[in-house]
Amino acid sequence: MELRKNSGPLKWCMITLVVVFLTMFLLLPLVYIVITALSKGIDTYISSITDVYAVKAAWLTIQATLWAVLVNTIFGIAAAWCLTKFAFKGKKIISTFIDLPVTVSPIIAGLIYVLTFGRQSFLYPILDGWGIQIIFAVPGIILATIFVTFPFISRELIPVLTAQGTDEEEAAALMGAGTFTIFRKVTLPHIKWALLYGIVLCTARAMGEFGAVSVLSGHLRGKTNTLPLYIELLYQGYDFTGAFAASSILVILAVVVLVLRLLLEHRGQKELDIHK
Amino acid sequence: MSENTSYVELRHINKHYGDFHASKDINIRIPKGKLVALLGPSGSGKTTILRMIAGLEHPDSGEILIDGKVVNDVPGSDRGIGFVFQSYALFRYMTVYDNIAFGLRVKKTPEREIKERVSELMKLIGCEGLEKRYPSQLSGGQRQRVAFARALAPNPQILLLDEPFAAIDAKVRLELRTWLRDMITRIGITSIFVTHDQNEAIEVADEIIVTNLGRVEQTGTPSELYTDPATPFVVRFIGNSIPVKNYDRFQYFEERGKESAAILRPEFISIFKKGENVQYSKSAEEGVVEDIIFRGSNLEIRVRLHGNLLSAIRSINDPDIQVGETVDVFIHRLFVIDGEKVTMKYNQSLREESVII
Repeated sequence: MELRKNSGPLKWCMITLVVVFLTMFLLLPLVYIVITALSKGIDTYISSITDVYAVKAAWLTIQATLWAVLVNTIFGIAAAWCLTKFAFKGKKIISTFIDLPVTVSPIIAGLIYVLTFGRQSFLYPILDGWGIQIIFAVPGIILATIFVTFPFISRELIPVLTAQGTDEEEAAALMGAGTFTIFRKVTLPHIKWALLYGIVLCTARAMGEFGAVSVLSGHLRGKTNTLPLYIELLYQGYDFTGAFAASSILVILAVVVLVLRLLLEHRGQKELDIHK
Repeated sequence: MSENTSYVELRHINKHYGDFHASKDINIRIPKGKLVALLGPSGSGKTTILRMIAGLEHPDSGEILIDGKVVNDVPGSDRGIGFVFQSYALFRYMTVYDNIAFGLRVKKTPEREIKERVSELMKLIGCEGLEKRYPSQLSGGQRQRVAFARALAPNPQILLLDEPFAAIDAKVRLELRTWLRDMITRIGITSIFVTHDQNEAIEVADEIIVTNLGRVEQTGTPSELYTDPATPFVVRFIGNSIPVKNYDRFQYFEERGKESAAILRPEFISIFKKGENVQYSKSAEEGVVEDIIFRGSNLEIRVRLHGNLLSAIRSINDPDIQVGETVDVFIHRLFVIDGEKVTMKYNQSLREESVII
């Protein structure tokens, strides 16, 4: 095919287009973040990112991310497992529902929780009686983060588990292996890379979540402000250096995640080639 | 098969998948130490039967007996079976050694005994030195052997094989068939394998259970199925069959029931060059050769007789026949199918001649 030919002006046009696009929309803004963050000198930058509220926001973000990853890993494995290894009625519906957080706007996700756990909800008096506060508190932020990152891990696992089929598990079961042994010895090695990859994606998304968290947080500085919310707060207060300095933390985390992702993809592919 | 020798037995087994009736009142008896084939077209319910024996599926009604005990509620892992999956289902992330050792490790066998057993099995399957390989690093035939060894490792009483040769290319398949047959005979383990390939079943099995549309059509040795088929399905399914409607037009087959039809097999038909054979020349009919297909070891001759295109086999040592040539066609016998009844009918001239002699 003409298009596949490894020469000609088309190839160079396409490459230029992609490079220009990436530069304009990604590279330039990233460079701008760094420049602005450092515009008032390295000392201002360091004091910005070591600001007590910035550290607290970063810590809260990490906390929410860890919870989201933990919960969604367990849920994701369970969901992927039951959707691929068993046949039952309503499978399609469950499968569709898992994807809901991707299609629903995060703002709505936030509002859903406000309605479910807020003062007007029938759950509120019960939870209040136990002294549990969800809305405008850390649990709410964690809930919202879990919600928006809900499908990431199960979606990575489902194709792998489907491709694997149930033969190996059946073979192990026929030899008398228990469910846990089967999972540990047969299923887990198979989904390991997909699982790690899902965790990376989940982490990236959880760290950056803004919409749903924004609705539930109440923006209490040092208490319920995550890093993205904190950045927005600084930005609205015309503290550009502070905002961009805090942003740089997120950017660094994102780059770390990106590198991890590349490594995992590479390793996973290599292992897949061996065990094909 | 007499009742007291049956080792695996299915009594009035029924199984549905939703609206689909996969097994209809299945009754099977499998004697100890036999190698039995479950033969049928896809969707005939043969794999369902195998999976029910293994405990991977559960019948809606009926009883499964192993060694005289009802095992319906016994989990598959406690039924003393080894299972070889169609795709082998070797554990991809384990070495050959770990694959074979898996069943023994689950049973908490001491590692020293495992080592002995694995090396014994590796020797048996002729795969010594491959212990550290992963399944992906083996050839199709080796994978099959490893799957076989893995199933045998915990010393099962019954070996179940689901389409054991389906995933292997033609040449290795023939080799493996013989190998598996020898292996199973040597170990003397009761074995049941599923196949849709009649040649495979005929060559490998001591007994064949023919399934169709969820039912068992016939059970018997390969030669019984071949010479004495019980149902029209078995006639059509086993061997090459040539359906003929107007078989009463053939000489010496004049009698014909109202609704009946006949099935011929290539081996029931002899084709001779004019004047080649004296014995049948008087009672043979003339047909015209339409096609000759070279089959390597022999020739398939297609000849038109009373509007039917018949196939017959001729040796490559026989005198040459050309397309368009008029030849003598002699039909030795055929199966007459009348509703669900099958009867063998011989060429009348054979009787007359024997009377004369």
